[in-house]
Amino acid sequence: MSTTPRITTGKSGSALALVPSMNDAFWRLYGEYWSRGVLDERTKEVARIRNARMVNCGL
Amino acid sequence: MSWLHSATDSPTPFEGVLGLRPELLALYRDFYGKLWDDALVPVALLDLCRLRIARLHNCEAEAVVRHAASGVSDTQIAALDDWGAADCFSSAARAALALADKMPWQPHAITDEDIAALRAHLSDPQVVALMLALTLFDMQCRLRLALGIEPQPATVSAPYSADAILH
Repeated sequence: MSTTPRITTGKSGSALALVPSMNDAFWRLYGEYWSRGVLDERTKEVARIRNARMVNCGL
Repeated sequence: MSWLHSATDSPTPFEGVLGLRPELLALYRDFYGKLWDDALVPVALLDLCRLRIARLHNCEAEAVVRHAASGVSDTQIAALDDWGAADCFSSAARAALALADKMPWQPHAITDEDIAALRAHLSDPQVVALMLALTLFDMQCRLRLALGIEPQPATVSAPYSADAILH
């Protein structure tokens, strides 16, 4: 799997930074999911890692 | 019918299920809504990709939501299953649909040439926004299917907005 970005990301190194309004909204959603809720973090983390392996996403 | 007990007083089946986590619903609505509200990518391209991904997933619940003002024609919708052979799509739409076809199950098959074809029509921020859109459309179909969301046909001025309900 290539880890070389196809889009110039600038200093931040994040492609999402090119769309700041969506970047901000994404991190609010993602932050809410991880920091609060009814599911324990261990379960979330196991699911996240399993999904990454299933789709072969090294990042 | 969803196997989840929906939140009460919900305007749509989708919101009824997502409303079980009202904080996430509000933030998701905001995130997904920005894609349409901010018009980072031409709305017609977004809607074509949304409908194409719905077809790929055979997700009726997503496919029956129609965006009245997107500029996508009935002819284009009818041709989506075989868009490569149809002559009613612009080169920009073809570049976007090529990626839409790969995103659900072949993200590793996306090539530099695919991205280059898209960059011929969109700026880099627009390319990023479109890629986000494709992942959101893919995720939304999966969510609808996994949660057993009932199709509810709707024609709306915009499919989603940070200020609107999710159909």
